[in-house]
Amino acid sequence: MSDMEIWIVIVALAVSTAITRSGFWLVGHKVTIPRRVQEMLRYAPSCALAAIIGPDLLLDPSTQALTLLNGKVLAGIAAVGWYLWRRNMLETIVFGMLFFTAVRLLHLF
Amino acid sequence: MSDASDVTTHDPAAWRDGVRTGIPTLFGIGAWGLVVGVAMIKSGLTLPQALGMTLMVFAGSAQLASLPLIAAGAPIWVIFTTALVVNLRFVIFSALLAPHFGMLPWYQRLHLGFVSGDISVALFLQRYPDPAPAPGKLSYLKGLLYPNWASWQVGSIAGIFLGNAVPAEWGLGFAGTLAILCVMVPMVVSRPALCGVLVAGGISVLAAGLPYKLGLLAAVVIGMVTAMAVDELGDKFAPARKEERR
Repeated sequence: MSDMEIWIVIVALAVSTAITRSGFWLVGHKVTIPRRVQEMLRYAPSCALAAIIGPDLLLDPSTQALTLLNGKVLAGIAAVGWYLWRRNMLETIVFGMLFFTAVRLLHLF
Repeated sequence: MSDASDVTTHDPAAWRDGVRTGIPTLFGIGAWGLVVGVAMIKSGLTLPQALGMTLMVFAGSAQLASLPLIAAGAPIWVIFTTALVVNLRFVIFSALLAPHFGMLPWYQRLHLGFVSGDISVALFLQRYPDPAPAPGKLSYLKGLLYPNWASWQVGSIAGIFLGNAVPAEWGLGFAGTLAILCVMVPMVVSRPALCGVLVAGGISVLAAGLPYKLGLLAAVVIGMVTAMAVDELGDKFAPARKEERR
């Protein structure tokens, strides 16, 4: 991407923040969200986050081949376990990175 | 209009109360900002671009989501749509919070909405579940929002400057994936949400080769439909099971 295109992306992202965060503050008293749409909204963000990290965890970066067992998947599973136990994002990231680094340095996968 | 003036009059005690309530979360917010800052610089954004993104966008998961798309040269509308979807949870948050402050002028509502983070909104609604006017409400909200915004920016800018000093082989970009996992896990507490996430993740891997990152959008739509279908089935079976027990 050219420098100019990246700046256009940044402005577009700022607009998306404004629409989603401030939209209801500005016009909310005139709108009621139907129940069906509310249900849909509830599931969209988690699905989007899963779709973002799925390829990073499961595809080999060099070959794009599917690998169900690799360092990132193991570190990801370990990190989720840590998060469920401690409920602390910072600790989870540090633990997950240490786990990932250990797997990488020991050439386990 | 005495109610409205009660809400908007600056109340130092309520402001301090808001700041105190938010303090324990600020470290986590700063750390999450740090991760996003490092990820921005590691993904190849220039220093001004990364600083511009953190100051103008202020949406961690949407920023992280956009970085691989920018690196892959995805079309701008795909990146924009992805950011909208990732940010959709804020529509719910703002729908919950907006009725409290309908009396404010539009530019203040725009500004307050823009700086509201998920944790701040949750903390505010714990204190004021009812949208009825109450004295000190606005000061309390600002006491939550402004330190939250500031600690995000401090962490993020520190990450942007530190990121260049960290060798690439440490794989620090993976910290972004771990951060997304931490945001995602509390969202999948129900069976429909878990099914949706598993299906969306699976489709995103299988469809990763599609042009324009369309695999990502397909994964979100199919995952969402799956979650709703599981939800509907649950609704249908739940009353039936009650019948059997009688």
